[in-house]
Amino acid sequence: MKTNAVNLTETEYLLPGNRACPGCALSLAYRHILKALEGQVIVTVPASCLTVLHGMYPVTSVNVPCVNTPFPSTGASATGLVAGLKALGKKGLTVLAIAGDGGTHDIGIQALSGAAERQEDFIYICYDNEGYMNTGNQRSGSTPLGAISGTTPILGKQQNQKDMTAIMEAHSIPYVATANASYPLDLYEKVRKAKAIEGTRFIHVFTPCPPGWGFPYSDTIKIGELAVKTGWVVLYEVEDGTFRLTSASESIARRGNLRPVRDYLREQGRFKNITEEQINELQDWVNARWSRCLDRATSL
Amino acid sequence: MGKVLMAGNDAMAEAAICAGCRSYFGYPITPQNELLEYMSAHMPKAGGVFIQAESEVAAINMCYGASAAGARTMTSSSSPGISLKTEGISYIAGADLPCVIINVVRGGPGLGNIAPAQGDYFQATKGGGHGDYRMIVLAPATIPESIELVMLAFELADRYRVPVMVLADGMLGQMMEPVVLPEHIDPATLPVKPWAITGAKGRKPNLITSFFLDPVELSEINVKRQARYQKIEEREVRYEEHETADATVVVAAFGSVARIARTAVRMARNEGIKLGLLRPITLWPFPYAPLRALSQRVDVILTVEMNAGQMVEDVRLAVAERAKTPFYGELGGLVPSPRDILREVKRYAS
Repeated sequence: MKTNAVNLTETEYLLPGNRACPGCALSLAYRHILKALEGQVIVTVPASCLTVLHGMYPVTSVNVPCVNTPFPSTGASATGLVAGLKALGKKGLTVLAIAGDGGTHDIGIQALSGAAERQEDFIYICYDNEGYMNTGNQRSGSTPLGAISGTTPILGKQQNQKDMTAIMEAHSIPYVATANASYPLDLYEKVRKAKAIEGTRFIHVFTPCPPGWGFPYSDTIKIGELAVKTGWVVLYEVEDGTFRLTSASESIARRGNLRPVRDYLREQGRFKNITEEQINELQDWVNARWSRCLDRATSL
Repeated sequence: MGKVLMAGNDAMAEAAICAGCRSYFGYPITPQNELLEYMSAHMPKAGGVFIQAESEVAAINMCYGASAAGARTMTSSSSPGISLKTEGISYIAGADLPCVIINVVRGGPGLGNIAPAQGDYFQATKGGGHGDYRMIVLAPATIPESIELVMLAFELADRYRVPVMVLADGMLGQMMEPVVLPEHIDPATLPVKPWAITGAKGRKPNLITSFFLDPVELSEINVKRQARYQKIEEREVRYEEHETADATVVVAAFGSVARIARTAVRMARNEGIKLGLLRPITLWPFPYAPLRALSQRVDVILTVEMNAGQMVEDVRLAVAERAKTPFYGELGGLVPSPRDILREVKRYAS
């Protein structure tokens, strides 16, 4: 049965009063991730916005148990949690490792790659706000070309982001997917699907950040949607090697027209100094990935 | 140049550029982010290299590389990040390389919090990393002194070929004070480092390593290094005494706490209590001798720290049984007020 607003569980695991910024896409994504896992989950989180969202002991607005782990260690911590539960003979709990892009693309990649190579049995979700937002917005391995940040303050970043989902797919794990906080039902279904699979499962969730990216708090959903409509984000999943476009990306593929990436970039203050050359480079990057996705989407 | 108002993190970054440092490697962590961000904007302007690493481990080992190439180099972080750097610091010490590391200490252990603390005293002064090595540790108490000590750190690192840490804290990193920036040192005028890896044209290739399989060889190298450490202990002890001449009670404190204790000294003197302050500026080498001398003429040396009692162990080593050596500490990122310190002093002042 396809998930919709009517049959989505009403139980909340992320309660009001958390410490997220207004308009935080992570807040929205996390709410639906926890709904999909029905609270039967142990979460491990490194230093990140999510640590802050979870609150400070003994005050928390999140209704699931959580381990706070060192920054480079999310994959290792999840490995340990799975091993510990196994050693105690406890079944029926999903271990969810959830880290930001700094904690995944940069400092956490070694532990994550090691765990995925060993096919450890947990779900890893990277919520990607394309920078170190919890420390006030410094560039990360996921910050795009041309974006201004605290450590690319004048010219913007000179390199483009790395494709973490492709890197994880190269580990031959059973389930890899991309998602976007503006498409919560697609995210919900992907987490449900991942929950039923054994082995390392990786989901990349695009989570726009109003203060970090420089757009109004009220525009989070719009920015996430624009990202998909322009092909900046492609919603897909790869299950046991089979690639499938999902949700809005699937519809666009059937209708066949992406909007220019410029429409997405111009809505955000972080791209205020981007050059025409960089815009063209980003458009080429988007086009090339989109065309690869269309080639792989055999069911279209 | 006139006075400018600067935050500690910005000032320490600028001081490094003034000292002729043209390679800086960092990684985000609160409360030192401004230092990293300042470097990203100003190091390229100075013609230097700024790299945001993918982790603290990478950043310290980028310093290892830059230092091996002969460049003045620096990294900065805050407590958890310094823990990640400790293997690299041990390698740098083991390869006899100069390097400056700034620790803007926060509350710990673990993720702790982002408030000012002094819980990294042991880590900084007693090793932190593995093996028999020492690191010069400089503890500023004000922003102008932070600038002075960052400049000094580069000088000492080059002179003795050792890592030097500037141990600040969240308060010193974030607070602002008027400062006068020093003259820039032109890196081209710095002494040549004949040991550096610069290409071996016309000479034998240099080797930078801490790897010596032969125990006799490693022992000899370690003994030589220890002799160098002894020289540092003889020459480089720095400390400040304030109102100690007629004191019966002396507070021993470093960094931010020493600054707060100065106010406590004034308050105590207004009430007729003869309170003084001894402030170690070098935490290693530690001012054992001045404390020993002081202990012969005062009744009480009260150590005050923002930790559970770390420097107090060195104070007790110096003082032995010659005076009472009580301790007062605040934990978890709490900062003692002058009134708090005075309250503790009154417990011992007769």
